[in-house]
Amino acid sequence: MDVCLLRKGRCTVKAKKTVSLLLTAAVAVGVLAGCQDTAQTDANGGQTASGGTEAAGNGDGEIKEFTAFFAVPGSEINDDNEIMLMLGELTGATCKETWLTGQTAQEAVGTLIAGGEYPDFIDGGDGMAQLYEAGALIPLDDYIDQYPNIKEFLTEEEWDKLRQDDGHIYWIQQFGNIYGEERATTHNDEAFWIQTRVLEWAGYPEIYTMDQFFDLIESYNEANPTMEGGMENIPYTILCDDWRYFCLENAPQFLDGYPNDGSVIVDPEELKIIDYNTTPTAKRYFQKLNEEYHKGIVDPESFTQTYDEYIAKLSTGRVLGMIDQWWNFAYTVNDALKQQGLDEQGCNYVPLPITIEEGMKNQWHNSGGVLNVASGLAITTSCEDVEGALAFVDALLGQEAHDLRFWGVEGVDYEVDENGEYYRTEDMRVQSSDTAYKASHSCTYSYFPQYSGTSRDGINAMKPEYQAKEFYNSLSEDVQECFAAYGAETYVDMLGTSEAPGPWYPMYSYSNNMTTSTEGGLAWAKMGEVKHEYLPKVVMSDDFEAAWEEYMKVYDSCDPQAFLDEMQAELDRRVEEAAKYN
Amino acid sequence: MGVVCLFFRIASSEKERRMEVGKASMARKKKEKIHEPKVKITWKEIKRQKVLLIWAAVIVAYGIVFYYLPLAGWVMAFQNYRPKDGLIHSQFVGLAKFQQLFSDATFLRVIRNTLAMGVINLAATFIMAIVFAILLNEIKSKGGKKVVQTISYLPHFLSWIIVTGILHDALSSNGIVNELLVRAGIFDQPLNFFAHPKFFWPIVAFANVWKETGWNAIIYLAAITAIDPSLYEAAGIDGAGRFARIRYVTLPGIKPTIIILLLMNVGNVLNAGFEIQYLLGNGLVQSVSQTIDIYVLKWGISQNDFSIGTAAGIFKSLVSIILIVIANMIAKRSGEEQLF
Repeated sequence: MDVCLLRKGRCTVKAKKTVSLLLTAAVAVGVLAGCQDTAQTDANGGQTASGGTEAAGNGDGEIKEFTAFFAVPGSEINDDNEIMLMLGELTGATCKETWLTGQTAQEAVGTLIAGGEYPDFIDGGDGMAQLYEAGALIPLDDYIDQYPNIKEFLTEEEWDKLRQDDGHIYWIQQFGNIYGEERATTHNDEAFWIQTRVLEWAGYPEIYTMDQFFDLIESYNEANPTMEGGMENIPYTILCDDWRYFCLENAPQFLDGYPNDGSVIVDPEELKIIDYNTTPTAKRYFQKLNEEYHKGIVDPESFTQTYDEYIAKLSTGRVLGMIDQWWNFAYTVNDALKQQGLDEQGCNYVPLPITIEEGMKNQWHNSGGVLNVASGLAITTSCEDVEGALAFVDALLGQEAHDLRFWGVEGVDYEVDENGEYYRTEDMRVQSSDTAYKASHSCTYSYFPQYSGTSRDGINAMKPEYQAKEFYNSLSEDVQECFAAYGAETYVDMLGTSEAPGPWYPMYSYSNNMTTSTEGGLAWAKMGEVKHEYLPKVVMSDDFEAAWEEYMKVYDSCDPQAFLDEMQAELDRRVEEAAKYN
Repeated sequence: MGVVCLFFRIASSEKERRMEVGKASMARKKKEKIHEPKVKITWKEIKRQKVLLIWAAVIVAYGIVFYYLPLAGWVMAFQNYRPKDGLIHSQFVGLAKFQQLFSDATFLRVIRNTLAMGVINLAATFIMAIVFAILLNEIKSKGGKKVVQTISYLPHFLSWIIVTGILHDALSSNGIVNELLVRAGIFDQPLNFFAHPKFFWPIVAFANVWKETGWNAIIYLAAITAIDPSLYEAAGIDGAGRFARIRYVTLPGIKPTIIILLLMNVGNVLNAGFEIQYLLGNGLVQSVSQTIDIYVLKWGISQNDFSIGTAAGIFKSLVSIILIVIANMIAKRSGEEQLF
């Protein structure tokens, strides 16, 4: 009996010990995991913050190192990237760029602000206003005059448009700047896209309305339900992932023949703001999608797929048509189609000039640069060598550096013919679509200021894709044939082009930077929430009318008028501002 | 600015509390059992324990710096905080931010989602872990047991991004689940699971169970191994079968562990998760998928309104503390183990 008790006693002590040990271990693991979490958030901010500034203050002759964060998705290049090093020799500095991964721009920027440390350069994208609010940016107005290339980059009027409410300029908008003569080839914006095989099958018909577009896709899919390899076609898919849901949401403005003001329609005669969410066109558009959804034409996974899944889907060549921005899919998808030889099956996408009724003028494409004043390249308070950083930007705009960035190295990435015109061989083109090659060789500094249009030599385009001959030769045969059938030479010809409607354009450069600190901004955020949820519901609903009515009711409860009023005020301000220059 | 950063670490203070609370209970139990004679605090005694005291001071300093100082950031919730002005110069607005929070229908829905998912996850993972540990314990083949245990806790080491990727693939219209269900004739055509709000909570619970069951079971397995084998022998002699032995020996044997872990987890209910809901959610299910943490990110950090984010965070911490105190009180009343 005694022995047994003794043994039992010892066992319980042991048991307690084991449990306590395990508990401690478990808690320790928990704590460690906790630390890791915070470390990660820090890494998001800190990653880009370190390093760059240490180069500041280096003597002449040494190559400075800067850091940059761009709140857009992008691919990092290798640390020993060849052109980056050549540019380093040329400009006296290099820059380590990091990009958005997995978060939205505003989340990434918010995290940076919370951390309080920034990289040298930053483009906050939709989070730009947050950075300004947080006092994270350095005013550039006093510096600009000292750097001729930067000074030349924008006109006086454009610089003034970039001024914030405190009267200072904090960022340089990098894009949409045309040097010399404009060269329009690619339609870099939104459109209804369709595969060339569909058009070819139907004998290249004229397609002007949404109904014709869907009829064509339906009849093609009925006749050819699978691809050559036997995979089933996906007739029409809609990307709806987070901020990219513009593919579902903003079509009504284009269908009514207005350009991409993004968040509202501007009536150019009356100078009045119109809400495109509630127009009869909007209702017709979503009703059409609803019908097509029930016919099985709209991909049932449209509203749940992620961006990656969407790109993967397009890369298989199965998707016959969709609506999207060129920059959102083309760079990855076109390369993938080319590498798999799917261009020979007619899987490339061309845009169609679609409006709600036939005979309307469409404004899918606008000529002239679009200056999105909402964001741009800025220098942060964490940068210790502002002058060096600006000198770097200035040098990157020089013609030699610009050619290196976008054309590459002569003899390796392009050749020059007897007239001084640049061209690429087929091998060079294939090489330039290879991601591994791009990472080790090319360095475009794609979010630093850059030109499109004509080079300073007066012969070439600033970028290869705008070089008419080079552009046409680089097209796949199916696209060339399709263009020929429609009498077009470029993507832009497929749609036709029109001038930017007025000095206020584009209005999205204001709404993108709204925050919930104003009533209009709060309404705008809530409207976004509601549309994210209800637009898919409306499209999937068995009873469209009822679903639409419910959507409209919830939509109205967000107080959209507050948002529209603020947009109207901004429109008036912009018109007034522009009048000063006439 | 650093303060702001520190403040966001408060999220992990839950873990810290767990740790301290765990230690306290351990110490208390020891005291009750052994009844150490009271030591008078004299200089001599302090000198004797010098090394211990220095070590303790380090830990206390650590706690103050990383867990208590950041609480100063709570001031933000009572201000109209702007990063430019900092904590000192931002305008004081009292409880306005809380008022705004609770008049926001989205926030109320978010609380519901968090509580619901927290409770469902807690119940599912908790029960599954115990059941799994007991089942595993009944396996007599040592090799088989080891293999099963290793395989079952491996998913714990996968990050949520991978788990959600697998789920997305498996549950998509042409994923394995739909394929099987259609082939078996249960569905006429594939069902898009992520398009229906009613599936979201079960999917999240399932994912949690799949990922954490094996890991959570380890602690119960350890507790089971500590049960005196003679009890099983005695029960066997008394004619208890397998189930009776589980019922009358194993379960009572691990009851203290179960209660302690339950108490800890109750305080954690509002940490229903961030990653999985963030990664699996989409517009169609956002009314059931968003948790308090996502709300903080979306309306606090993204919209540059740190005050509202902080207010939501404070609310979450307060509810967690209240929950854990209540749970502890109940445990005390019913004469069970308790945390404090």
